[in-house]
Amino acid sequence: MNDLNFSFDFFHLWQVIGGQLILIVAGLILILADIAMLKLDEDVRSRRLGWLTVIIFALTAAHMMSREWGLHNIVFMGIFSADKFSIFVSIVMVLSGLLAALMSIGYLQNNDVMKGEYYILMIYAVAGAIGLVQSVDLLMMFITLEVMSLAIYALAAFLKNNRFSQEGALKYFLLGSFGSAFFLFGVAVIYGVTGTINLTKIAQSIAGGLYTNPAILLAFAMLSVGLFFKMAMVPFHMWTPDVYEGSPSVITGFMATAVKAAAFGVFVKLLFVTFTPMLSQSGQPDFQNTINLAALGAYWKPVLWWLALLTMFFGNLIAVSQQNVKRMLAYSSIAHAGYMAVGIIAANGDGRMGVLFYLFSYTLMNLGAFGVIYLIDGKERNAQTLEDYRGLGYKYPALGFLMGLFLVAMAGLPPTAGFIAKFYVFAAAIKEGYFLLAALGVMTSVIGAYYYLRVIYMMYMKDEVRDVVRGPVAMPTVIALVITAIGVIYLGILPEQLANIANAAQQSLSMIF
Amino acid sequence: MNAPILTYVIFLPLFGVPFILAMSQKGDSGKNMIRGIALAISIITFLASLRLYFGFDPSTPGFQFVEDHAWITSYGIRYHLGLDGLSFWLVLLTTFLTPLTILSTWKAIDNRVKEFQISMLVLETAMLGTFVALDLFLFYVFWEIMLIPMYLIIGVWGGERRIYAAIKFFLYTAVGSLLMLVCIIGLVYFHQQQTGEITFNLLSLYGTSVPKIYEILFFAAFALAFAIKVPMFPLHTWLPDAHVEAPTAGSVILAGILLKMGTYGFFRFAMPLFPAGSDYFAPLIITLSVIGIIYGALVAMVQPDIKKLVAYSSVSHLGYCMLGLYVLTRQGVEGSVLQMINHGISTGALFLLVGVVYERRHTRLIKEYGGIARIMPIYSTIFMIVTLSSIGLPTTNGFIGEFLILLGTFKVNKVAAVLAASGVILGAVYMLWMVQRVFFGEVTNPKNYNLPDLNLREIAYLAPLIVLIFWIGLYPNFFLKKMHVSVDHFISQVKIESPEQSSHVQQASCMELPGVTVALAKE
Repeated sequence: MNDLNFSFDFFHLWQVIGGQLILIVAGLILILADIAMLKLDEDVRSRRLGWLTVIIFALTAAHMMSREWGLHNIVFMGIFSADKFSIFVSIVMVLSGLLAALMSIGYLQNNDVMKGEYYILMIYAVAGAIGLVQSVDLLMMFITLEVMSLAIYALAAFLKNNRFSQEGALKYFLLGSFGSAFFLFGVAVIYGVTGTINLTKIAQSIAGGLYTNPAILLAFAMLSVGLFFKMAMVPFHMWTPDVYEGSPSVITGFMATAVKAAAFGVFVKLLFVTFTPMLSQSGQPDFQNTINLAALGAYWKPVLWWLALLTMFFGNLIAVSQQNVKRMLAYSSIAHAGYMAVGIIAANGDGRMGVLFYLFSYTLMNLGAFGVIYLIDGKERNAQTLEDYRGLGYKYPALGFLMGLFLVAMAGLPPTAGFIAKFYVFAAAIKEGYFLLAALGVMTSVIGAYYYLRVIYMMYMKDEVRDVVRGPVAMPTVIALVITAIGVIYLGILPEQLANIANAAQQSLSMIF
Repeated sequence: MNAPILTYVIFLPLFGVPFILAMSQKGDSGKNMIRGIALAISIITFLASLRLYFGFDPSTPGFQFVEDHAWITSYGIRYHLGLDGLSFWLVLLTTFLTPLTILSTWKAIDNRVKEFQISMLVLETAMLGTFVALDLFLFYVFWEIMLIPMYLIIGVWGGERRIYAAIKFFLYTAVGSLLMLVCIIGLVYFHQQQTGEITFNLLSLYGTSVPKIYEILFFAAFALAFAIKVPMFPLHTWLPDAHVEAPTAGSVILAGILLKMGTYGFFRFAMPLFPAGSDYFAPLIITLSVIGIIYGALVAMVQPDIKKLVAYSSVSHLGYCMLGLYVLTRQGVEGSVLQMINHGISTGALFLLVGVVYERRHTRLIKEYGGIARIMPIYSTIFMIVTLSSIGLPTTNGFIGEFLILLGTFKVNKVAAVLAASGVILGAVYMLWMVQRVFFGEVTNPKNYNLPDLNLREIAYLAPLIVLIFWIGLYPNFFLKKMHVSVDHFISQVKIESPEQSSHVQQASCMELPGVTVALAKE
């Protein structure tokens, strides 16, 4: 723990949080660039900013992969850690940002909202999310959580003249604040009991005997509730449908993937670093007692068991009755949170690996689906209901096929990434003997298959009733859709490489200690 | 033998998809090109699969043409294919029926030809993969891939209630197969606990001993997945809907091959993996099979719609297959496998024939027809032959299958045999009654006066089926000899843990068998 000794070393800083630095600085530069380009036409400016954002995200990803992947256990002043786990989740979020930025170039043109701050908010949302996942300090977690959330709230409200966008954003802001408040209370209680806010120090402190202390359990529950809000777990999911329906389509896809990844990443980190640490062979003297913390599993596992089941069940069930495709996918994203939670309950390496794999593949398929949705939409809320999808499979064969592919992936059918991801998390749960949860979980995915396939039958088995004209298809969107489609199929057939990386990532959690 | 012939056979149909995608489907010539490509690809697949016939060695119970490559190593999942005497004829049946089906849709499918042919080819790949996969994960992947094209075939090109039927088909199958997936994973972890090796390899998993309660549960989940597909009596309700609403090609594939997945699943996976569970449920399954035989026949009798009648007859015929499997005698099992082939041929032919008049009149109601034997003599002759094969007249294939099954059943379960035999009589009743009302008597409906008889294309896809009907009927040993060894191996695998079956029965059945087949062959 000598990292706590304050030593300002730029190289060290660059290694640990280089990705965040790039984003923060680039965000500032983009603000200036926006002003510098004032003379240009709005659409040219917006397109240039979009491409710049894409480049920035690409650079961030490249930096993280090349410099930070390979490192582990590097903690910067006890605030941020650069371990493979954080980097993996960060890269998922940067990827989500990159794809969303690519799609946004076309989306903003189609909707005539060409404001520069859109991209800048997106960059700061990702910067906050990366900070959140890299934090090993509860207070920094709270700050970065807020940085991410505020940017996302603003993005959700981005369609200024759209009532639904405003309504969704306000709900998100109010309920999100509740969530953050819970989180902050949790931090306060933990600090009150243990006197520290560092994840590993908390673990050492409570392992000594505080682990059944009601205050600790309360704090743990509060921290979890704060994150469950962001993960959209039932019963903390109420904001999701309105926000997802009202937000700009690309932002919905971005929120559903980047924010979910951040929340899941930080929850897993919190859980498996502080409250139920993985047993590593690092041999540090403080480590000996933490084996006691395995007993905490008796508290959180049954709770999460029920939450996961309810999340899968309600998410899928309520999605069935939705007529708006975005709203349907909102409920489906709730259900997916439930599947990922199954991997956490397993609390083994396979489960954590499964969650990471799931986050990655869900990012691809969900963003892909929202990309198609915005194209079919033309202008926001122009064609979003199931009825509007009638016969589109023949009118726009490529879009129809892509939509079908992404939905099949979300339904978890082979040979797509969605199937492999579900397989990993359920296999992990079955390995630990959670047969009932797995059986009930796969049953809910049959409900899921029903409504995903309903979109497909609308597209292919019904005739068009209303003339739906898709918006112009911008080249960057095509690139993004091709990347997602290839990714979904590639990971469905050859998942091994990514799974190995995810496995290495989850193992590194034991080294933060 | 070094060439990965099974991989070629499985993926050849997929190979045709890019070519079809590249074609334009504007106008008749474009559509005919697409149909031509699909037909050519499926025929090439059939020819490639003939290579399997010549290379197959019937004297070993083990798997042949094995291909084994690592796939997802951390879970021990492998790309593992192989063929034995039990799956051999099913693979050939699949490659054989697909070109005929594609030929039969030349006129019937006129819109969205491109999408249809792609679905057919993807479906063929998935079906072949299911029959040869020896890795449970791989099997499951192929099994699920099958769902989407079939869902589209029923839902896009089907009849009036096609969407209802397609969704029902999908949901029924998905419920069963997902539970099966949970149990596959569970089985793998039990295996890992015992041997320390994590593998989805079917052959390694065969010997896994699972606690009795889990064995029963796992078998129940597997059996549910397969019984839905077969379909067995209380789970059969999706079948008439799917059959009636599907286009002719869909019905043929559904009856000819997809239903066999269920029975195949029983004898390849469910029974040998969980012999004790299988033994536990055997009385129930035998009872349900017998109920299915009689119930299917009775319901078929009162159907006003020819296609629905044939659909219910499938329930009855598949009841025989399940019964034959579950009596676990050599004749029973061989009869069962043969009956699967027979059902594929006869019922496939019946659906094709129903499709022929449906194309001309756009109705399948029995009362709309009558006396058409005078108008369409060739059609009526072929229909009569297929009917006789379906009801199991000696010299046709149906007789051999049903006879072997009943013979095998009689040795171990006289009551079931007697009841099942009454199903044969009922089968004759509903089929012949239908034939009488449709073909004989005066021509009652003036719309039927000008029905054209079969054209060359229709004869072309029906003739091979007629040849097979008599081939199996007259010389069944040609087909049976490929499976003897595998069937014995299967029985020994499943029977090991059920000692209450007296051993002399099995011995007796083995000793009698050569005589039986010789007698059958001479007929």
